[in-house]
Amino acid sequence: MRERGSPLFRRHRPSWHAPVELLSFGLYFLCAVLLVLSRIGHGVIADVRDELVDLTAPILEVASFPAIEARRAWERVQLYASAFDEVDRLKKENEELKQWEWRTKLLERKVAHLRSLLNAVEEPGLAYATGRVIADARGPFVRSALINLGRRDGLRIGYAVINGDGLVGRTVDAGDSVARVLLLNDLSSRIPVLVGPKAVRGLALGDNSAELQLDFLPDGAAIYAGDEVYTSGSDGVLPRGLRVGVVTGALGAFKVRPYAELNSLDAVSVLFFDAPALTRTDPPAIGGGALSTAPVDRANTATPSLPVAVSHAGTADGVPSSGGQAQVER
Amino acid sequence: MTKYLPALSVLFAVVATAVPWGLPADATFILPIIVVMMVFCWRAIPGAALPPAGAAGLGLLADLMSGGPLGYWALMCLIAATVGGRAGSLGEGRDLGKHWLIWTVFISLLAGFGWLLASLYYFRWIDWWPIALGALASIALFPVVLFGLLWIRHGRLGPERSQIFRGSA
Repeated sequence: MRERGSPLFRRHRPSWHAPVELLSFGLYFLCAVLLVLSRIGHGVIADVRDELVDLTAPILEVASFPAIEARRAWERVQLYASAFDEVDRLKKENEELKQWEWRTKLLERKVAHLRSLLNAVEEPGLAYATGRVIADARGPFVRSALINLGRRDGLRIGYAVINGDGLVGRTVDAGDSVARVLLLNDLSSRIPVLVGPKAVRGLALGDNSAELQLDFLPDGAAIYAGDEVYTSGSDGVLPRGLRVGVVTGALGAFKVRPYAELNSLDAVSVLFFDAPALTRTDPPAIGGGALSTAPVDRANTATPSLPVAVSHAGTADGVPSSGGQAQVER
Repeated sequence: MTKYLPALSVLFAVVATAVPWGLPADATFILPIIVVMMVFCWRAIPGAALPPAGAAGLGLLADLMSGGPLGYWALMCLIAATVGGRAGSLGEGRDLGKHWLIWTVFISLLAGFGWLLASLYYFRWIDWWPIALGALASIALFPVVLFGLLWIRHGRLGPERSQIFRGSA
């Protein structure tokens, strides 16, 4: 004990700051480790994040309520301020829509007639669920939103999310009661699209800005500013024909301005679209008929059938029908 | 309760960063930087308790809520806590002007570092403008936030006012 009081011991005794410094160093190291694990997409990190997002969802829902109401109130104030102009615009738009309605009915009859002539298969409906954005997860890296729909509502990862204007994004994380939607303009968002009346294939890339880059277009593609952009469905994740936006910019630097206002999302719908899986083998009962090319003895042979192409032509509409079934051709 | 006020106020700000305010795409960096600024200010205010571990934890919560890289905002808050702690002990002259200047230099460097770190994380150059806008907004809002935090701490401007706002009094 006497040694403790000696000048030599006191000189070598560590400073009381040492544990604090060590803790700080440990925290810096932990942050670096978390960044690396997050970068490589470690499964444990993703699972823990999902759990925590699920836990914080009720808090976010309560916290976002006043913000959403305040935003709505502000929008109403803006609307009242321009009420007369808005009425004039709506009257004009209504006249145009009446003409479109007449043309659409004509085309519907024509399509139905042609379909009956071609003996085309009926288009299955697409179910959807509507929820609300409860949190905004937009920073320099991520453009995403949390919605109050989860696996309990039948939602899964990769589903398309739309609102009344068009495609908003797709689900990338899904908890029990909440899901994260990766918005179109996120840095890691890649949407295969068709552009214009000639349906030129391309890729709409998010870069965290308000507009998307339009890339991977074929050489000499006939694209003009104002052309409509919609999903091609070639990724097998999103259904074909969802409205994305409109082309802006000039040749060599085309961009896509999304129809959906991604900065102020409120109600959104999730389309329950699963990529159709093709069966690689025929069921055993098939065969023996006049048109069958399968061998007679199939006990030990697994003759792969030719994949039957399923039609995927789609409607260019981002709005689900009112009956709870969005008509997207599959 | 007063002991937990710094952490609670920063927690409130972290939750506010995740609320859908409908801000434009360029302004998305402002709220998270204000969280970092609050950490800095709390550490600079004499007598206020916000340990670096608490600051890092709150930053981590911001990471979780934003869906961004885990550890990014935790690291930013941790650096702010370290620098804020040192800024508070810069001798006797703890006036607003000096703290404002320290914050201006610090956030400029931190924004540059954050931009580089983000670019490294994604292996591509991140758009620098939202980060710069966030840093500029935080510099403009610094006195307001500091004033607000002092008010939160005491329900009024307390004894630190004479020290921190000496330059403006």
